[in-house]
Amino acid sequence: MTTTADAPPSQSFHRSKLTADDVQRRLRYIVEKDRLVLDDLPRRFLETFAAILTHSNYRQVVDNYARITARCANCAPSCQIYQHTHAPHDVPCYRSNLLLEVYRRHFTMRGLITTRLLGQEYLTEDRVLEMASTFYDCTACRRCTLDCPLGLDHGLITHLGRYVLSELGLVPRALVISVREQLEGATHNTSAIPLPAILDTIEFLGEEIRDEKHREVQFPVDQPKRDFVFFPAVSDYLMEAETLMGIALTMHVAGDQDRWTIGSQYFDGINYGLFYSDWILERVLQAELDEARRLEATNILIGECGHASRSAKAFAKTFGGADAPPVVHIIEYTYRAYKEGRIRFRPGAITERVTYHDPCNIARTGWVVDQPRELLRAFCSDYVEMTPHGADNLCCGGGGGTVSVDELRPYRTGVTGARKAEQLRATGAKYIVAPCANCKKQLRELCEDHGLDMQVVGLHDLIYRALDLE
Amino acid sequence: MLDAWIDLARGPLLRLALLVMLLGLLRVIALQVYELVVAWRRAGDQYVPWRIVWRRLAGWIVPWRALRDGRRAPYSAASIVFHAGIILVPLFFAGHVAIWRSEFGVTLPAFSHATADVLSLAAVAALVWLLAARAANPARRHLSGLQDWMLPVGLLVCLGAGLLTSHPQLSPFDARAAYLVHLLTAEALLVFVPLSKLQHMALFWTTQASTELGWRFTPGAGMRVRATLGKEGQGV
Ligand code: SF4
Ligand code: SF4
Repeated sequence: MTTTADAPPSQSFHRSKLTADDVQRRLRYIVEKDRLVLDDLPRRFLETFAAILTHSNYRQVVDNYARITARCANCAPSCQIYQHTHAPHDVPCYRSNLLLEVYRRHFTMRGLITTRLLGQEYLTEDRVLEMASTFYDCTACRRCTLDCPLGLDHGLITHLGRYVLSELGLVPRALVISVREQLEGATHNTSAIPLPAILDTIEFLGEEIRDEKHREVQFPVDQPKRDFVFFPAVSDYLMEAETLMGIALTMHVAGDQDRWTIGSQYFDGINYGLFYSDWILERVLQAELDEARRLEATNILIGECGHASRSAKAFAKTFGGADAPPVVHIIEYTYRAYKEGRIRFRPGAITERVTYHDPCNIARTGWVVDQPRELLRAFCSDYVEMTPHGADNLCCGGGGGTVSVDELRPYRTGVTGARKAEQLRATGAKYIVAPCANCKKQLRELCEDHGLDMQVVGLHDLIYRALDLE
Repeated sequence: MLDAWIDLARGPLLRLALLVMLLGLLRVIALQVYELVVAWRRAGDQYVPWRIVWRRLAGWIVPWRALRDGRRAPYSAASIVFHAGIILVPLFFAGHVAIWRSEFGVTLPAFSHATADVLSLAAVAALVWLLAARAANPARRHLSGLQDWMLPVGLLVCLGAGLLTSHPQLSPFDARAAYLVHLLTAEALLVFVPLSKLQHMALFWTTQASTELGWRFTPGAGMRVRATLGKEGQGV
């Protein structure tokens, strides 16, 4: 296959009679109808794909995958969607192949010759819409990648497919609205929380800690030259008070009260760009890096959020240069404090059964897997594992940003999360520890929709209860 | 007449087929290496976790993970047996070693006839099983394209004809006809290597690195894509 990605696709397509309502009917998620590209959709798809292949690093990987995929379906049993539906169109390779086939047919010499000779028009509106639908079924959890003999990373192809589609308006409205507020809105965060509300919240959390633990714990704001500038998923300020209290108390007990700060100009770790757009990914990360530089912080500390951690860890140097501040995950921080003896736990502080859910974005590569388990075992008297777990974990079913799209809930809890629900039920645990804002939301909805009497908490929620303050 | 065809297939055609395969694969490798270097140079973060890349690669050379998984074990075991047969027998079967020596002047060690028979029969059995598994599983069937059916069938013909050639007493056909079929199907398959998914014999070695570099993004690429699409200055 000679690649011709630099050349604009030359096929002509019929003018469309497609309407925004037609598009909406094909999708499980709601789109911004006024942003949809309707005319010449296939041609516009190809132009966008060509532009991305030209300017980004995807071409070599797409070309490689397009040549070698064995279509053996070895990846199928790994995928929680296929495990539930057993539908051929839910085989990871089938989904990725939709995009790979566009590449083969429209961006390689052989494909172009075949297309000309046979007069076939491969990419149709229907195929574009099939991709728009199916790339949001996949949660980009990358579990299937572990089981492809040829090493195809379907998470990468899902990301790329969504990136192309997003430039055509084929992206969940919920994600776009959040990102618009984060990058161009007044509050600079995905939950549209005004700064005064954040400041009120952390003051209140400090008072709560004082009342409950009798400690004067601060949430420092805008302190320059600290070791850590802290970015949680901003929704934690609204939804996960105990997680934040646990983090602040840990810092305090470890003697690091004066080593961290929250930035007032930018304080949201969420980066939906990881899910659908490199353009967004870079802009959000730049905002984080700018805040770290403004405060002259040594490290970027990410809270309990899988994708926020991965997007910062994997791309800080990419977009911030070699001298970008190192990225530390809050569990890494707490684990180190524990190993250095700067924090201690009351053994057996949590007597109810506890299990741990690995967020894909921090576990799949083995980055944060053993540390939380060692911490939990230090203070839980009845800790059980799910099967499988660790780097081999099953996605919660809400990964890849889908958890933030409320209209996807029936699919998320009914299909993508169905295996997770079985896994959770089998543990018989009272507490599911999930150190990720997205996983927590999905797991709570799973528990509701599957009638599981379990409580979803963050790791630092339990640490808050178990820290030895003597 | 048949002998003349055999001479042609054993000599010039075999050389031509091998040349087409090697040149085709060299081109594929050169393109891939070039693309990888370009990607590496453009990456904002040029760190490639070679240890992980190598570990994943090694994990598929001997796929313990798949062999331990009950759902995948039979398919993986069949795949290993099949690959062992089609890699080892063409190289080290005494009849082939003689061809490599007479036609190309290359001397390779030969294993016994019995070993070649066992490996070939096992490869045939594994291939039949893999083909049946593809046909029986709706997911695999749905995924499969023309080459996914034609390549195994071609290989079966080639392997079957090869076995009959080396055991003429068992052959219902003229052994020379079987030999010719063996040679011609083998040559057709060699020619198809760089044109089909069989390219994985070269690209398997680079895919893990390719994936890692796929995740090493290019700073400013998103903006340049927007500019190319005429969306400069437009908001989210
Ligand atoms: S949901 Fe996960 S396992 Fe399934 S195809 Fe997507 S990345 Fe692979
Ligand atoms: S395991 Fe790999 S080669 Fe096989 S079907 Fe899945 S993605 Fe394709």
